[in-house]
Amino acid sequence: MAGTKNHDYHILPPDIVPLATTIGAFTFTTGMVLFMHDMPGGHFVPWIGMAVLLASMFAWFSKIVNEAHAGDHTPVVQLHQRYGMIMFIASEVMFFVGWFWAFFDFALFPSALSDAVGGQWPPASVEEVIDAFDLPLLNTLILLCSGTTVTWAHHSLIHGDRDGLKKGLWATILLGLLFTSIQAYEYSVAPFPFGVNTYGSAFYMATGFHGFHVIVGTIMLIVCLVRAYRGDFTPRQHFGFEAAAWYWHFVDVVWLFLFVAVYVWGGWGYPTH
Amino acid sequence: MATTADQFQAHSEDHGHHDHDHKPAFFARWFMSTNHKDIGTMYLIFAIFAGIVGGAFSGMMRVELAEPGIQYLDTFARWFGATNPDFNSTLHTWNVLITAHGLIMVFFLVMPAIIGGFGNWFVPLMIGAPDMAFPRMNNISFWLTVAGFCSLLTSAFVPGGMGNGAGTGWTVYAPLSTYGSTGPAVDFGIFALHLAGAGSIMGAINFITTIFNMRAPGMTIHKMPLFVWSVLVTAFLLLLALPVLAAAITMLLTDRNFGTTFFDPAGGGDPILYQHLFWFFGHPEVYIMILPAFGIISQIVSTFSKKPVFGYLGMAYAMVAIGVVGFIVWAHHMYTTGLSVNTKMYFTAATMVIAVPTGVKIFSWIATMWGGSLEFKSPMVWALGFIFLFTVGGVTGVVLANGGVDDVLHDTYYVVAHFHYVLSLGAVTGLFAGFFYWFPKMSGRMHSELLSHIQFWVFFVGVNMIFFPMHFLGLQGMPRRYPDYAEAYTYWNQIATHGYEIMAVSILIWFVNIIYAFTAGKKAEDNYWGEGATTLEWTLSSPPPFHQYETLPVIESAGHH
Amino acid sequence: MNFTRNARAVTRAAKAAGLALALFAAPQLAQAAPTPAGGDVSASVEAQTGAERMKAPDKGAEPAANAGNPIVPDVPTGDAAAAGSYTPMKPTPGVGMPVEGGIGLQDQYSELGEYGHWIHNAVLMPIITVISLLVLVLLIVIIVRYNKRANPVASKTSHNTLLEVVWTLLPVLILIGIAVPSIDLLAKQFKPAPKEALTIKITGNQWYWTYGYPDNGDFEVVSNMLNIPGAPVINNGIREVGSEPWDGPSHLEVDNRMVVPVGEPIRLQVTAADVIHSFAVPSLWFKLDAVPGRINEKTLFVEKPGVYYGQCSELCGAKHGYMPIAVEALPREQYNAWVMTHAGAQIDGQEPAPAAAAAAAPASEEAAPEADMTAAPEA
Ligand code: HEA
Ligand code: HEA
Ligand code: CUA
Ligand SMILES: [Cu+2]
Repeated sequence: MAGTKNHDYHILPPDIVPLATTIGAFTFTTGMVLFMHDMPGGHFVPWIGMAVLLASMFAWFSKIVNEAHAGDHTPVVQLHQRYGMIMFIASEVMFFVGWFWAFFDFALFPSALSDAVGGQWPPASVEEVIDAFDLPLLNTLILLCSGTTVTWAHHSLIHGDRDGLKKGLWATILLGLLFTSIQAYEYSVAPFPFGVNTYGSAFYMATGFHGFHVIVGTIMLIVCLVRAYRGDFTPRQHFGFEAAAWYWHFVDVVWLFLFVAVYVWGGWGYPTH
Repeated sequence: MATTADQFQAHSEDHGHHDHDHKPAFFARWFMSTNHKDIGTMYLIFAIFAGIVGGAFSGMMRVELAEPGIQYLDTFARWFGATNPDFNSTLHTWNVLITAHGLIMVFFLVMPAIIGGFGNWFVPLMIGAPDMAFPRMNNISFWLTVAGFCSLLTSAFVPGGMGNGAGTGWTVYAPLSTYGSTGPAVDFGIFALHLAGAGSIMGAINFITTIFNMRAPGMTIHKMPLFVWSVLVTAFLLLLALPVLAAAITMLLTDRNFGTTFFDPAGGGDPILYQHLFWFFGHPEVYIMILPAFGIISQIVSTFSKKPVFGYLGMAYAMVAIGVVGFIVWAHHMYTTGLSVNTKMYFTAATMVIAVPTGVKIFSWIATMWGGSLEFKSPMVWALGFIFLFTVGGVTGVVLANGGVDDVLHDTYYVVAHFHYVLSLGAVTGLFAGFFYWFPKMSGRMHSELLSHIQFWVFFVGVNMIFFPMHFLGLQGMPRRYPDYAEAYTYWNQIATHGYEIMAVSILIWFVNIIYAFTAGKKAEDNYWGEGATTLEWTLSSPPPFHQYETLPVIESAGHH
Repeated sequence: MNFTRNARAVTRAAKAAGLALALFAAPQLAQAAPTPAGGDVSASVEAQTGAERMKAPDKGAEPAANAGNPIVPDVPTGDAAAAGSYTPMKPTPGVGMPVEGGIGLQDQYSELGEYGHWIHNAVLMPIITVISLLVLVLLIVIIVRYNKRANPVASKTSHNTLLEVVWTLLPVLILIGIAVPSIDLLAKQFKPAPKEALTIKITGNQWYWTYGYPDNGDFEVVSNMLNIPGAPVINNGIREVGSEPWDGPSHLEVDNRMVVPVGEPIRLQVTAADVIHSFAVPSLWFKLDAVPGRINEKTLFVEKPGVYYGQCSELCGAKHGYMPIAVEALPREQYNAWVMTHAGAQIDGQEPAPAAAAAAAPASEEAAPEADMTAAPEA
């Protein structure tokens, strides 16, 4: 009979949030163009777009959480979410492939025709680079450590130890914030500018996008923490947490590649700051 | 394929009970949709609209190319908001036209129609699923595509360097697209790709999840209809290729606005890097556009031959092979950029490899029909046209694949001829085939078979007349992206423009047919193509209920293989 | 990715040869002052070429100065045989240019071109025609034999392993057949020119070409499309109705051609000053992108004297369609004579004879090659 559903899939009612999110995204991109070209509205349209975007995303994820509570997330729907998250991360991996491609192109084949580069890597116009075994190494340890704390939180959750879950999450979030702060500090004292030559371009864009992902991951973990306090998540059903944890591990792995390639290999033997 | 209607166990519900379907009210139904069929419909309407815009742009291009000299560009420049265009901005308008035409046709006609439209409609129906895995995300995929289109159209009316609009070509090569094009137009274009790309990535995730997790009981992966296979492979290509494009165009954006030097040689950047990143996406992209068409053709050929597809497994894995090899051939678009000899040799060989799985598909279609009992209903005629026209486009691709030969053909009209044979005569013919195959299923009304046949023949004559002479022009050396040309190229250009007029008539016939169907078309039965049509969508009413398969169908294991 | 970076090695060699500075300074200049939107392009052309012109006072490099003059050969009138007399060659209709209504490749005037032409006409074309026709014929056979009326009951065959193996292996064999000559052609194309070969530096600019002759005193030729009578003025190329005798096909003829010697390998080094262009001459089987920030190198060999036309083949902005290429191939002596019409010209490292030097511009002393090669153009 129409209207009686005899399966476990999640059939959703109509929803305005996707359109609202799109309007936010479109306003944001349009506003960015206005901003980048010093056109009227450039100083507030992107903010409006961003606000709409964030509000819609908040509404969207709230709905998902509520649906989870309503029991809509049957095992097969949870399976969907797993697949979805894995593939989202796969696409993110390909996104970083693009930035690494640029980095290795510049590092392996530095232009001899550009004064700024002079056929060497790091480029001639870069006098000093960041010492990989200084703050970056510390950041590496911080992220690795946060990978273990998030696992601690997960195991606690699985074993019904909500206190451990909260502690693990707190630790992970604090480590994430610490990482971001150190990264911000490092940017502020970095001995080379943003852009200007291939070094600044590849370095800041690759590490910057990573940093952005760390922030997103931290927000995901904060949401999980809030939910943990609200009493969400059961030992058997907690995909929201797992998704955040997967994402966190992904961000961690990207950092390892950045650390090894950009900081260690890319600056090997070069004067450091 | 083993999935036949007679194995379909569950009763198909709702015959004649459409009124009991609880459809949301207008606004909720179309602006807040979480229904795969409604979203598919919106994708199709949107794609048709975009196709008309892109087709109109190509008409503007064809009139300008009807003879040497600059005749109409000045007028077109005014259409895009120039008040008193000088000669440079007049010429710039040409580049805007081809850029918009290429981007619209690729990102806003073929992809939305074939993946967003037909994929959304028929993947769930064919695998026996009530909807897509992520219905809400399905909706944003669509709206982001619309937002991207809006951004692209906006770009045509704002300054882009020499005149209004982005004049970079659809490939957006740096540094023409960075310091070579001041003004906001190119930024709007870049964001158009960001928005549409994000939508497509989410769509890809949705399709993969749906196909992996929501097949009806008994429908193993090796029993899926080939159209579903084709969308699955396509979705993987989208998922892995688009993010690389996103990175590349983000680099364009920061080079343009924030002082990075990814592609700026003064800072050591490398314009060729952009081409690698673009084509690493761009080549898979061309298979993204053609694989779903392959899938549609497989369904149609099998239906109207009243035979299961010949070599089903080979057909499925040929698409997988095309998808995989498609990721390692990208530099065949860059033969003249100064690649080393070894590189050119590798890409020559790798590219030609793709002819093998593609040949498997062509020959399997032929073998499917061989021994069949063919009915030349309109979709079948379009499908036969597809097979021939795609072959012609494919074999010229093999010519271009030869790095040493491409040295003389690259960036000439030979390339334009090649890719229009596979796209405008391949993918678009596949679209029309799918359209006539499924239109009654989607709308509940029969189109006119006669008008569709006439449209096919007029279209066939028209597009061949447009694009076949382009091979001659290309061999003679006429470069692409030129609004004006040496007198020797006049003859074939004129023929091509006349071909456009014929083709335009065929599109008009199509519109008449649609109007006819909605006003006077017969009501479509559940399975209006008869015994050859065996996939699950034919067990449902036409149009299917708002929510189908509320009890999942069960596919029996008895199969043909 | 090293496969894409072969030009790096080339680059180093070029620098050693003292060529690089002028080449890479140009894009930097261009970026320091991006072309203004809708800006006056002829003005920016002047600005960019100004420095070059001072360095190489080639008469042809001063298009503006020519304005109003009827086009005259770059040679002093009177008895100038020793100084190098040169009259641009009259192109032969149908040679080195497209032909009206033509449907095939242009005739080829290099060994490589003939080979490529053969591969296309004798290997590729027949194969693809046969394949397309085979598919068409099979479709027709099916339509005739297996329509509903002729064959009311469909067979149920859906497998035939042998058949499937055949139509997989046969294309493989065909492709191998194509690949063998094709790869051979590639290998031949990459045969570097001998060390002592003449080098010509080609630079793509928005929207004209410049040709540098480092082996001949490093003068530079600026090449603009000749205007089409009645059409808006394009760059500075002048064209008068019937400006014979060297007045070539419309859209293809230029004011100053790239002149090369026939019958010897020439090293072409291609780069660009602003955005990407592509140096392409179909009848010489030559196409190489001009990319800012890198120098692409390839060998050109012209078998017969003549004028060979080509066009910029990479979208480079508004006037992409209006920067044609004209290569004029001359026997060595005539080539030398053409060289001698340029200030500071040298042949085989020799200053021209006094008479010739006098005929040429007096700047020849400063334009000594060593000085030129090491000096940055800004200096
Ligand atoms: C739907 C889109 C589509 C498809 C399917 C293809 C398919 C192919 N393409 Fe095409 N191509 C484009 C869209 C497409 N292309 C576009 C848009 C461009 C230009 C982009 C731009 O610059 O703007 C382009 C450009 C392009 C180039 C670059 C040309 C240049 O710029 O210089 C090359 C070079 O190798 C190429 C090759 C091929 C090959 C080998 C195939 C193969 O996949 C074809 C395989 C099919 C067959 C061969 C026919 C069937 C097979 C048989 C019947 C078996 C027997 C056959 C043999 C043994 C030969 N294509
Ligand atoms: C799918 C892709 C596609 C399609 C369909 C077309 C269709 C056409 N194209 Fe296009 N073209 C490109 C992709 C496409 N093109 C690309 C990528 C370029 C390169 C751009 C660049 O250089 O950057 C190009 C460039 C290009 C040029 C070269 C410009 C130049 O280099 O200077 C020319 C010249 O004539 C041309 C002409 C045409 C014409 C006359 C058609 C006609 O066939 C158009 C007629 C219209 C249709 C056939 C579509 C009708 C369909 C619908 C209305 C919707 C149907 C929907 C359903 C059934 C659901 N195109
Ligand atoms: Cu220069 Cu196109
Ligand atoms: Cu390709």
